Amino acid sequence: MVGVLVVLEGMDSFVLLCLLGLPMLGAVILLFVPAGALKVVKVVAVTVSFVVAVLAIYIFVSFDETAGAVQFQKIYRWLPLPGPWGAGDNAITLSLGVDGVGATMVLLTGIVMLTGTLISWNVSEATKDFFILYFVLLAGVFGVFITFDLFFFFLFYELSVLPMYLLIGKWGSTSQFKGFARTKEYSAMKLTLVLVAGSVLIWIAIIAIFFQAGIGTFSILEIQEVSNSAFSPTFQNIFFPLLMVGFGILAGLWPFHTWSPDGHVAAPTAVSMVHAGVLMKLGAFGIIRVGLVLMPIGAETWMPLLIVLGAVNVIYGAVSAMGQTDLKYVIGYSSVSHMGYVLMGIATLNVLGMSGAVLQMFSHGIMTALFFAVAGMIYDRTHTRDTLVLEGMAKRMGVISVLFTVAGLTSLGLPGMSGFVAELLVFLGVFQSYGILGTVLGSLAVVGAALTAIYILRLLSKVFFGPTPAMWESQTDSGSRELLAAGILVAIIFSVGLWPFPYIEVIESGVNPILAMIPGAR
Amino acid sequence: MSIDIFAGSNAAWLIPALSVLAFPITLFLGRFLPGKGSFIPIVAIAAGFILFWFVLSDFLSGGSVPLHVDIEWINIGFWEITWGFLVDRISVVMLGLITFVALLVQVYSLQYMKGDSRYGWYFSLHALFAGSMLLVVLADNLLFLYFAWELVGLGSYLLIGFWFDRRSAAEAAKKAFITTRIGDVGLLIGIIILFKATGTFHISSIIHVAQNGGISDSTIMWSSLLIFLGAMGKSGQFPLHVWLPDAMEGPTPVSALIHAATMVAAGVYLVARMMPLFALVPEMQLIVVITGLFTFIFAGFIALVMTDMKRILAYSTISHLGLMMLSIGTGAVGAALFHLVVHGISKALLFLGAGNVMHSTNDETDCWRLGGLKSKMPITAGIFLIGSLSLAGIAPLSGFFSKDEILNSVYQEMGLGFLIVTLAGGFISALYIARLFLITFTGTSRTDAAKNAHESPVLMLFPVVMLTIVAIFLGMVAIPMGEFKGFTSFVEQESKFHIIPWLLVVSLSITILGVVVGWLYYGKSRLSHKSMALRLGFMYKGALKGFWIDAIYQFVIDRIVLESGRLIATFDRIVINDTGIDGSAKSVLLSALKVRLIQTGKIYNYGTAMAFGVFLAVIVWWVF
Repeated sequence: MVGVLVVLEGMDSFVLLCLLGLPMLGAVILLFVPAGALKVVKVVAVTVSFVVAVLAIYIFVSFDETAGAVQFQKIYRWLPLPGPWGAGDNAITLSLGVDGVGATMVLLTGIVMLTGTLISWNVSEATKDFFILYFVLLAGVFGVFITFDLFFFFLFYELSVLPMYLLIGKWGSTSQFKGFARTKEYSAMKLTLVLVAGSVLIWIAIIAIFFQAGIGTFSILEIQEVSNSAFSPTFQNIFFPLLMVGFGILAGLWPFHTWSPDGHVAAPTAVSMVHAGVLMKLGAFGIIRVGLVLMPIGAETWMPLLIVLGAVNVIYGAVSAMGQTDLKYVIGYSSVSHMGYVLMGIATLNVLGMSGAVLQMFSHGIMTALFFAVAGMIYDRTHTRDTLVLEGMAKRMGVISVLFTVAGLTSLGLPGMSGFVAELLVFLGVFQSYGILGTVLGSLAVVGAALTAIYILRLLSKVFFGPTPAMWESQTDSGSRELLAAGILVAIIFSVGLWPFPYIEVIESGVNPILAMIPGAR
Repeated sequence: MSIDIFAGSNAAWLIPALSVLAFPITLFLGRFLPGKGSFIPIVAIAAGFILFWFVLSDFLSGGSVPLHVDIEWINIGFWEITWGFLVDRISVVMLGLITFVALLVQVYSLQYMKGDSRYGWYFSLHALFAGSMLLVVLADNLLFLYFAWELVGLGSYLLIGFWFDRRSAAEAAKKAFITTRIGDVGLLIGIIILFKATGTFHISSIIHVAQNGGISDSTIMWSSLLIFLGAMGKSGQFPLHVWLPDAMEGPTPVSALIHAATMVAAGVYLVARMMPLFALVPEMQLIVVITGLFTFIFAGFIALVMTDMKRILAYSTISHLGLMMLSIGTGAVGAALFHLVVHGISKALLFLGAGNVMHSTNDETDCWRLGGLKSKMPITAGIFLIGSLSLAGIAPLSGFFSKDEILNSVYQEMGLGFLIVTLAGGFISALYIARLFLITFTGTSRTDAAKNAHESPVLMLFPVVMLTIVAIFLGMVAIPMGEFKGFTSFVEQESKFHIIPWLLVVSLSITILGVVVGWLYYGKSRLSHKSMALRLGFMYKGALKGFWIDAIYQFVIDRIVLESGRLIATFDRIVINDTGIDGSAKSVLLSALKVRLIQTGKIYNYGTAMAFGVFLAVIVWWVF
């Protein structure tokens, strides 16, 4: 282990490139593996995921929170664009680096990727193609979190959305309800179209930023330096909403959230994990990385709206979740609700709320990955997700029930688990901001946590407890590979919940410089 | 200067730490140990009980208010949130009660739970439950208190739902968690409002700032009210009491624990702790008084008509918690804590006694299906009698002393009117507990189960006997002896002990009257309780149904909360998704179909359009 670390020390400036390249490389290697060689496919998949996870952990651990700023920086020139600004040599660069926020998200992605791979062991249909797309998807996700160039940011953003279409359309499942159905084709198509609609708004804003800045570069760090003089308040007030809504769509912003529960449900287990666990965070991350940093005045203007919409997300998502009868739909709507806390936290524009938002992104990512992993385990065994049919599963699936309970308790904000810390910081932030509006919305947010308790505890009671009907008597409990994946997630949930100190230090070091940009930040 | 954190009251932090630590150890390693590791929580809590005596002696010998361990937990911006411990006189009392009752209950469980398939799980939960309750009473800041408070809720959830394969247990556990959680929403909001106003979670700092006028009255009012809501949930105050009667779905020793030392005690403790804040707004004190008094009478009345042993005891607990709140509301924090301890001991004793009965009668809990048990299980009957008399408040048992102090305070602070109502509550208390004892233990055995009852094994008698001894003699600590100025004065640090002779006589007579009336109805059968029930009619039926409070909640949950869930879910699907999202996609498709028709492919169509366009452009150019 020490040897490995020494090697890593020596390649600090390449570590982000590896993070980006390894999943791509994995995808390319898999291309040349014969489809029939299942064992080889799985070995490659697990090896790549494991190495990437180690890299992600390394980046997070060795991130120097006292130094803050952008670390592991490396810039590769890609395309010059001559224009009125001159030669434009640095117009488009692959500008890699992580700040405190990015490092936290990289850690999240690495963990979800590894556990997702472990959970996908029994994907039996076109396993090779599944993993190729899965890796491309994750390369895109990593790209977004570590890029400081608007062009590549957008490129990776798209790269992480498009494989979803195929992953859901081919490996997904169709849900049949009384009176209507949600086919996987429908869900995949809706997800792609809605997200692309959001991307259009983002792309318009990016182009506007590029020309308005007038320095011939897409580099976020360089534009940031001139943003004060180049972007008038009017410009910011007009273009910030494009970013807020465009990215917001991916974060499940109400009322553009319906792609997400349907997408979650239709997707195969590992894709649901990545989708809810990581992908939705790209949206919130985009608002922070592009929106807040480049248009701080616009952000200030529009944040009151975002905080209200966030509160709507929280309550509306929780109430909708109560009305669901499909295990995955309950979790899907709970994601909509929990992402509301992230949006509210960002909108507070203070250090408590923002750090809470980022920690909530992390916590929710881990928690919801666990949720979907367990929902997948149950579905694999019972072939149903109908909460009206499932009953008394705890007797035969003791471990699975414990895992689901842990995820559920995290979700309702039980102290000792990650959700509590994150939500607490968001609450504190919201109460500190916007005077009486903040108090009212903050109270609503706390009420949202109680609503979560209602639907989660009802679900636990209905599905896991009570007498076990004869039809579920012969079920089996989780296997060791599933337990390993879930165990990693559970361990992280508790580590954040009991000892959030190290996580918050890193996050705060990323949040503070962003807030320093905003004139009226509290 | 370094403080020795392992000496005297500085070591108090070890008391919860041991039990909290016992939880994961028992959970993960218990299965490899003899007795599934059940001894680990017992050793931990016993050590806690021993440490309690060191802490207490520190206080009795006038030791300073000590402090301790302050662990940095979150540090963000200018804010620092710590895990800190504070031991003062209130927490010392709580430490004694919790460790003593939890220890005896755990020892009792060794025998009672024997043969259960989740024996180890049961004991590890006890460690978690007791440990988190101990944290609640030692926390020096509200956030840490809330943290532990929620873990107490979790412990009760898991223990009430211990036999989760029973539908009723699963439902009861869920009900307890959700009901208390509703109170907790208030608590958390209240805490955050105080944080916003003062920038700290530390209880003493908040109270200090508030007392110096640093917080506006309306903020104090709101935050007190919200914090009180949390206390109402945990301590079963009307209307958040509904979970407590159902909580008996857990194993009986768990009920003993919940009703005596943990969980319900938390709310009373919190209000006692925050009373300096509440006291700043007189309306708040009145709210506490009225809530307490109403709960006292209301639950007592229901206890009169229940037939299930454990349900009678449960409503009795709710009732007495009301009495404690009443006491705190009148400013008598010491008296309230005294009653908390005395009632806790009596109630633990009664529940474990009921456990003995159930253990020997195939879990029969309906007291009308028992009867005549005093000859079958004389020791249990004897200790049950003492517990009952103490609960009723018969001198010289401990219940008499604590009730008297509360009555004193009610009379002095609230006047005669409130006193009369409280005395009426005392009468009801005496009546229902006499009824329970007489039906269960005297008369003839009404079923085979009762006929075949037998005395319990020693391991189950020992803890009950210990509790009985304490119940008999604990009252003495009310009386000043030398340096020690009596329990209440010890807690409030000012001499409070005094006696109003006529009140003493009146209260005792009313209690005895209650017992005698009970005896006339149920012991001697001189009076017919059935005709009485008929005469009361509506009230009787109402009480049997718990005055429909449960039905109202059920209605609100089923018809309003869940229905709105379904409604919003359908709205989301049909309006937001199918109309909004799909609709916009379809309108693109439809307009594409329409626009397609413009592409006629005929040159003169295009020519006309071009000419029209040029014409339009010229006009625009001309005008602007």
